[in-house]
Order: sequence, then C-alpha cells, then structure tokens
Amino acid sequence: MPLPLFLALALAQGGEGPATPRPAAPAPPRTISIDERLAANAGLRVGDRVVISAAAGGAGDTVVIAAVTRRGADPSDVARDEYRVRLHLDHLQALTGYGDRVDRFAVATRGPGAADRTLRAVNDVAFGFRAHRSADVAVGTSRTFQVVRRFHRAIGVITIVASAIFLLCILLLKVEERRRDVAALRLMGISRASVVTSIVIEAALVALLGSVLGTAVGYAGTLVINWHYQGVYRTPLTFALVTPGIVAFAVGLSLALGVGAGFAAAVRLVRTPPLALFGR
Amino acid sequence: MRFALASAALRRHAARTLLAVFGVAVSAALLLDMVMLATGMRESFREFLLVSGFQVRVTPKGTLPFDSEATIEHAGAVLAALRAHPDVEAVSPILGAQVHTLRGAHALTAFAVGIDPAVQGDYKLLRGADVRAPERIVANEPYFQRTGRQLGDTVDVAAGFDPQFRSYAGRRALVLVGVGQFYYTAADQPVVAVPLATLQQMGGPSRADRVSLFMVKVRDGARSERVRRWIEATFPKVTAISTETAMQQVEERLGYFRQLAFILGAISLVVGFLLVTTLVTVSVNERIGEIAVMRAIGVSRAHVVHQIVLEAVALTVVGTALGLGLGLVTARYLNAILSDFPGLPAEFDFFLFQPAAAWRSLGLLVVSGILAGVYPSWRAASLPIATTLRREAVA
Repeated sequence: MPLPLFLALALAQGGEGPATPRPAAPAPPRTISIDERLAANAGLRVGDRVVISAAAGGAGDTVVIAAVTRRGADPSDVARDEYRVRLHLDHLQALTGYGDRVDRFAVATRGPGAADRTLRAVNDVAFGFRAHRSADVAVGTSRTFQVVRRFHRAIGVITIVASAIFLLCILLLKVEERRRDVAALRLMGISRASVVTSIVIEAALVALLGSVLGTAVGYAGTLVINWHYQGVYRTPLTFALVTPGIVAFAVGLSLALGVGAGFAAAVRLVRTPPLALFGR
Repeated sequence: MRFALASAALRRHAARTLLAVFGVAVSAALLLDMVMLATGMRESFREFLLVSGFQVRVTPKGTLPFDSEATIEHAGAVLAALRAHPDVEAVSPILGAQVHTLRGAHALTAFAVGIDPAVQGDYKLLRGADVRAPERIVANEPYFQRTGRQLGDTVDVAAGFDPQFRSYAGRRALVLVGVGQFYYTAADQPVVAVPLATLQQMGGPSRADRVSLFMVKVRDGARSERVRRWIEATFPKVTAISTETAMQQVEERLGYFRQLAFILGAISLVVGFLLVTTLVTVSVNERIGEIAVMRAIGVSRAHVVHQIVLEAVALTVVGTALGLGLGLVTARYLNAILSDFPGLPAEFDFFLFQPAAAWRSLGLLVVSGILAGVYPSWRAASLPIATTLRREAVA
C-alpha cells in the first residue's frame, strides 16, 4: 500500500530562504521531484520550497523541488487521480520513521540464466525474502487490463454482429434493386455466370470502398479519442489504435460479407425467369 | 386494413424482414446493455455504499477507505465527539489490518476488520454468533474454505510478520463463532472480523487507540453534507466523504465506462434508425406503382403514410422486443466478465436493470423507428399519381 505524504506550500518563490529561519547555518534542504499533475494543480515549479510530512498537520521537512517528472504511459496509473513525489530513500525512511527498511528491491541481472540463479539464491537463503520475476509480477498486476480486454472483445463481437447485419441488409437490397437490369441482361443473352460475376464484383467494390472510408473514419476517431482521454487523464498513454491487423480484419470481414451477400442475391436473381423479374 | 397491408408488405420479403428485425434486435440489445452499464454502475454503487445505512465515511486526511495503511489517532476521543453530535445516529469505528492464520508451517493471510459488533455495518451474519466477546472471530466462506476450519474451532491468528526472522507478532487464539458475508471486500478474499479492541491490542503500540475508518449514520431528516462539513472543520487530520462525494470520485475513476456506454448506445440507436429507414425506403421504391394505383383509386395520403409508418414501427417493435431478451442475456455475460476485476466486492454490479431507464431507451428506439418511416412515407404520399402510373406502365 502506498504511504501517504503531505505537502504544504511554504514559499512559492524559488531561491528564497527556508520557511523558518534557523539560528545556525542550516544544512541545505533536501531535494524532491514531483509529477506534472501535482505541479500543475498546486502551481509548483522547479526551485520552489515546500514542507513535506508523513502525517497531515505534522511537523515536516522543508525541501526544494529539484525536478518535475512526466508520468510514463502506465495503464495502471490512468484511473488513479493521485500525485507522485520522489524522495531520496534515506530521507523518506527518516521522515516516515520507517528505519532501515525498504518495501522491495529491484534487481537487474545479466541475462535470463542469471535471473534464474538470482531467484534461487534469494529464495533459498535463511532470511525471509521472496524474489519474483518482473514478468510474473506484471502478470499478477495486469489482471485489471485482461478483464478490460475481455470486455472490449465481447463488446466488439456484439458491434461486429450488428454492423455485419447492417452491411448484409444494405448489400442484399442493393442487388435486389438491380432486378430489371439483370432481366434485361439475361434477355440480351448474357450468361448467368457473367451476370453473377458482375454483381459480385460490384458488391465487392462497394464493400471495399466502404471499408476504406470506414478505416479513415476509424483513424480520425482514434485521434479524437486519444486527444480527449489523454487530456482527461493527463497521460501520454495511447487509448485507441488502428493497427494493420485491425484494418485487415475489418476490410476482410466487409469484403467477405459483400461478396457473400452479392453472390447469394445474384444467384437468386439469375435463377428467376427474366420476365418474372420484370414483373410480368 | 392498414395493418393487413403493412403486414403483407413485410411478409412479401420474409428473409429481408427477418434480417432487419434481427439487426434491430442486436442494436436494441446493445442500447439496453449500454443504458444498463451507464445507469446501473451508479445505482449499484449507491446501493453498495448505503447497504448498511452509513452515509459518511471518515478516513485519515487525503485517503480513501483502506487506500493506505494510514490510521486515525486518538480514535476514542474522535468517536466520542462524533457520537455526541445531535445529527449523528450511530458511528462504527473500523480498524483494518492483515492477519495471518497459522497452521503448522503454513499461514493464510486474510484481511481483518476490527469492529464494534453493536454498530458494525461491514458484514451480515449468515450463521452462528457475532463477536460479542474479546476472543471471538467471524469469518467469510472463502476463509473457512481455505483454512479448512469449522465453526467452533480455535485458530491461531497473528497480526504481524517479521520476514527477516520469520516470526509472527501479536498472536491470539480466537474462536470461530460465526460466518459472515462482507459487503466491501472482494468476493474471493478471505476476511475476518474481530472486536476492535482485540485487533488494536494484537497490532501493538502502533495500533493502540487508532482506527482506519469511521462510518457515520446520520439521523433521519438531518443533512449528511452538513455533518460531513462539521467533521472536516472539527478534525483537521481526517477527510469526511459523503455518499455523493464517494460516488463522484468513483464516477471520475470509472467515467470511461459511462462514456463508452454513451458512445456505443448512440451508435446502436443510429444503426437501428438507418437500418429501418433503408429497408422501408427500398420497400417503398419497389412498390411505387402499387402505391400510385392506391392513390388513383382514392386511397388518401394519410392512409399511405400510416401504412408505411406502421411497417417501420412493426420492424422496430418486434426487433426491440427480441433485443430486450437478447440484451438481458448479454448484460449478464458482460457483467460476469467485469466481475473478475481484482478486488471488486461481490455485491457490486456493472450492469443493473433499471426499468425506467430501460423503457426510456427502448422507447427512444421505437420513436426512431417511427421517424425512420416518416421520410419514405412522405415520399410515397407525395408521388405524382399520373406520371408514376405512366412510368410504371411503360417499365
């Protein structure tokens, strides 16, 4: 669980004296870094002095803001409307009374073999530490996003079914509108195969053009979505993405539906006697 | 007569009509699901917060309930002051902590709440007795399943663990006296409740006279917002959160789902509208000669408009009725997916059927169906009769 820290603005002007004058030559104040969100909301800048304490209203330390950091594109941060303050380890330990303790160590190893050896070495020692692979930790903490992904997939399937039915209806109707053209072509002696082929090509072209237009609209949609949510959550995270795979799937599905619907309707039309198509 | 003609027109192309009805049904299902998501989440959270009737939560300054390990000091004094307020009916103090149930070399880590059994609002007792004595403990089903213990068993529980020396601190022998259903914890999380004083003693000096949270029940007729403001003004080291504030915070965190619901709901409405408009327009185009004949033999414009609008309404109503059932089934499936969110309480639902909201949205779809019939019917009723008849006859 995160430790709550409390910041109080002592002086908003950088480079001026500490909040409380001290009789002896004071040690230079420690430095901290804050994130952009806190800097923007509290109107803080590099060089400002603030007081930080472990408890609300408690005596704290005057520190200097040495840096303003930008958050990484971490999905787990998106919905958490919280601030990030980074202190030197010994400073935080002293401030919170944590003593010579840390919550965890991050260990960089040389290659996958070294990672396994390090895991075994740490987990086999007599003292009660437990080492985990970063990848395993990531799997454990990414459950939220797996749930969101499954939800998006399910919603995606429903919308695909709805749009597929819509597409199928439109294409069937479009072919049905050609009843008289087909009758005329058949009466002129054009073969059934030629009529079916021409209708299928027409349906495929309509589906392809619609897909291209849909891809352009979808791409514009991702720009709007990213612009909106990046502003709302103040994160560089990409929320919506049009990938070649998605485009291929959408165009492929559209073409398959177009060709299928065009073929089915065309076969039905060419099997109907031309005069019947004319309504005679 | 009009109904018969509309019905005949729809039955003439049965496959096309069925496809359109199915399309409207899927659109209606999606619309219903999105309305259930947008309104249900809010209502479900409100019910969830008010399940035990406490309207205000008091937490350490700047934190949400159990969001951190921070605690409120001088809990006894704060409790007495809160209970003395004339608008306050009851106050439930709660201390949250991790506890370890020891069995040989193994230990099960569970979340423990230290409560006052007389006013607690964290769980409902399903079986057995409550924690009326210091060495008693109530646990939920996952705790019993994972420990293999039963009611009446004595368990060895520790409040702290030193990983360097692998030793447990704050150990107590507690008797399992009841099975509870905890409202605010994850469905599969083992949770226990013990008397507040017992958990404070087990936690040692760092937990003495401290709590993680107070839940405050305001008297009928009193305003919870006024009590909330009084608490924050009186106790500068705490944050008081009313139900409305908590809902606002959760909505900010889950705003994404509401926006997604709004966008997809709007899209499904437009798709349903376009589908019916297209179908009825094409159907009218195919029957232009027939409509011209009807007009020529004296059938009124209103009759033609009525008949075509009826076709659109029939498609929409049947599709919407099917969509209602389909939407309820898919909502259940989608809710099951989102229920897997880590840490989500079992009581919380993302999709909740709110009759008023559901009928409103489905009514909107039916209205869109009526509107979908207006353009083609207006076009059909405005046909120049003689010209159309001549053109159709030549064709």
